[in-house]
Amino acid sequence: MTLRVGVLSFAHTHAIGYLSALAAMPDVEVRGTDPGGVSTGTTLGELRGADLTGALGVAHADTVDDLLAWGPDAVVVTSENARHREFVERAAAAGAHVLCEKPLATSWEDGLAIRDAVQRAGVTLMMAYPVRFASAFDRLRATHASGALGTVFSVRGANNGMLPLTRDWFTDPALSGGGAIVDHVVHVADLVDGLTGARPVSVTAVANRVLHAERARAETAGLVTVTYDTGMVVAIDCSWSRPDTAPAWGGLTLDVAGTGGTVSVDFFGAAARGLDAVGGRPIELRYGADHDVPMLRTFLDAVRDGVQPQPDVQVGLRTLSIVLAAQESVRTGRTVPVPTA
Amino acid sequence: MTLQSAPRPRRRIGLVGAGGIAVAHVPGLLRLGDLVVHSQDGAPALAAAFADEAARVGSTITVADSLDELLAAVDVVDVVVPTPAHATVVRAALAAGRHVVSEKPLARTDADADDLVARAADAGLQLYPAHVVRWFPAYRRLHEAVTTGLLGDLAVLRFSRSGAFPTRVAWFGDRAQSGGIVMDQMIHDLDIARWVAGPVTRVSAVTVRTGDDEHPVEAAHVLLTHASGAISHVAGLWGPPHLAFSTEYSVTGTRGSLSHSSLAEEDTRADLATPTAVDGFLPSVDPAEDPYALELADFVAAVDGGPLPRVSAADGAVAVRLANAALASIASGQPVEVTL
Repeated sequence: MTLRVGVLSFAHTHAIGYLSALAAMPDVEVRGTDPGGVSTGTTLGELRGADLTGALGVAHADTVDDLLAWGPDAVVVTSENARHREFVERAAAAGAHVLCEKPLATSWEDGLAIRDAVQRAGVTLMMAYPVRFASAFDRLRATHASGALGTVFSVRGANNGMLPLTRDWFTDPALSGGGAIVDHVVHVADLVDGLTGARPVSVTAVANRVLHAERARAETAGLVTVTYDTGMVVAIDCSWSRPDTAPAWGGLTLDVAGTGGTVSVDFFGAAARGLDAVGGRPIELRYGADHDVPMLRTFLDAVRDGVQPQPDVQVGLRTLSIVLAAQESVRTGRTVPVPTA
Repeated sequence: MTLQSAPRPRRRIGLVGAGGIAVAHVPGLLRLGDLVVHSQDGAPALAAAFADEAARVGSTITVADSLDELLAAVDVVDVVVPTPAHATVVRAALAAGRHVVSEKPLARTDADADDLVARAADAGLQLYPAHVVRWFPAYRRLHEAVTTGLLGDLAVLRFSRSGAFPTRVAWFGDRAQSGGIVMDQMIHDLDIARWVAGPVTRVSAVTVRTGDDEHPVEAAHVLLTHASGAISHVAGLWGPPHLAFSTEYSVTGTRGSLSHSSLAEEDTRADLATPTAVDGFLPSVDPAEDPYALELADFVAAVDGGPLPRVSAADGAVAVRLANAALASIASGQPVEVTL
């Protein structure tokens, strides 16, 4: 069965990868629309709208209405974070299943509205948390499931990257929902959720704008601790602490401690390494399978089979609840209870 | 070997306590002088175990039957008793007019730590807390990188320390006595975070203890806000018995970053049919650059009129206050404002 899949907005750079991956799938027809998107240059990362679909050989729709009138079975929402609600509500009302870029929303109200919209429409929403689809995470889960890790009681997670430069809105809190906390807490929170199923209880966070001080409109470094209903304690470094000059964008590491021992995973750490003979700069040639394709496959299989895939909208809300509590903790200097849906 | 001038009298060093950390201190102490050991438990066994080592370096190791006998016989005292006894033994040594090295934490309570600092100052005696991580080479490199400006203004720091839950003696696991993982183990990195990123204005902490009576495990995460605006995360883990000791840090500033993993930087990796035992309680050290020996040599040199060591009694008291602030945050469930 061939599926019609729409990509709503190319504001998020992940739209490029999703459009390409979907276009390469034989059983998928893909069409994209990018309301208001204007190219800022000629490289692939700078192309927007019909310029991008043209470069990728993908069909283009001029408006969201046009795209939804095409009758897509599913859509991928890759808009600015603050506009997820608007696009999800329209897609759900049109009966399309939704793969939503992270974070689910930038406010609790919008998150709940998204949940209600997909429930009302009877469509599925899956969160685009690609690291869940890394083989290393499968192995971690298998180790946990085997009992070898015992009871997980402490986790250290670090999701560090560069200050996002490709799209201005990433550093505009009105559109992104904040800074490093909203950008990078969610991936680690999702992996902990997927691994343990524990529910977050309280959050404490500290942040600053020391790095990239001249460009920062929100925090560029953040450290977050989370307590869970199982007693587990988790710490997350969400800082944009990779310099622009680094050989690779950043990464995500997880150090999991259980009563049976520890497992440490460096999800993007595999690389061949060397030195540039002229400048002495490190050469870091990373390898490892792309996580987007298995994530898209899981989503599309679920659309075909009518089975709710994970991570679902509840995971989206739980990971958002940690972000919002962390932001409030930074504002107030207090430890903050996590909102529950 | 020929000596042109008369050798100074042999230094006599007292070691009070004969537990796990005593074993790490003795080799360095024997190179600094003759050693007199007193302990409620285990002093004869410790002296016997190091008799050959003492002879090899031209020193002696003997046992004193009482603390008073030890204090009467030595010039400097190294206190390595369990944490809850630090203050009492250090007070006795200061009262006897002896310079003192104390294992960390300097004391279990803020009041005791401050009292020891004040007593040493009043008596004109030197008192040094053995925050040995300041002598571990990777942490010296970090401090150099920060103080020379290599990393610029510090933004975000992470420290981690992991090992096996100390079950060999009961007092470690008793939070009232030891202060748990925060006071016993994480105080090292709390001290390092303040050493490299400066004074601290806010402390928060979360912790967990689980497992069973036979195999308890404990972890904590502490967040620090520094007066400079920098933020630090200090993680501590006391895991299951097989867990090897390991440390990590990752520090980022406006001009660069520096990170270290003790496991990743081990200079030897063996894959043998008969595995070598791992020590889950203390870090492995290079005997040619033994941090315990280096700190003790610096302390003893300072007692002899040499330069001030890189850690002071006041630093030790602040480290105790940081750890107790973290414990207060755990108790209240809220961050604690401090000026440390």
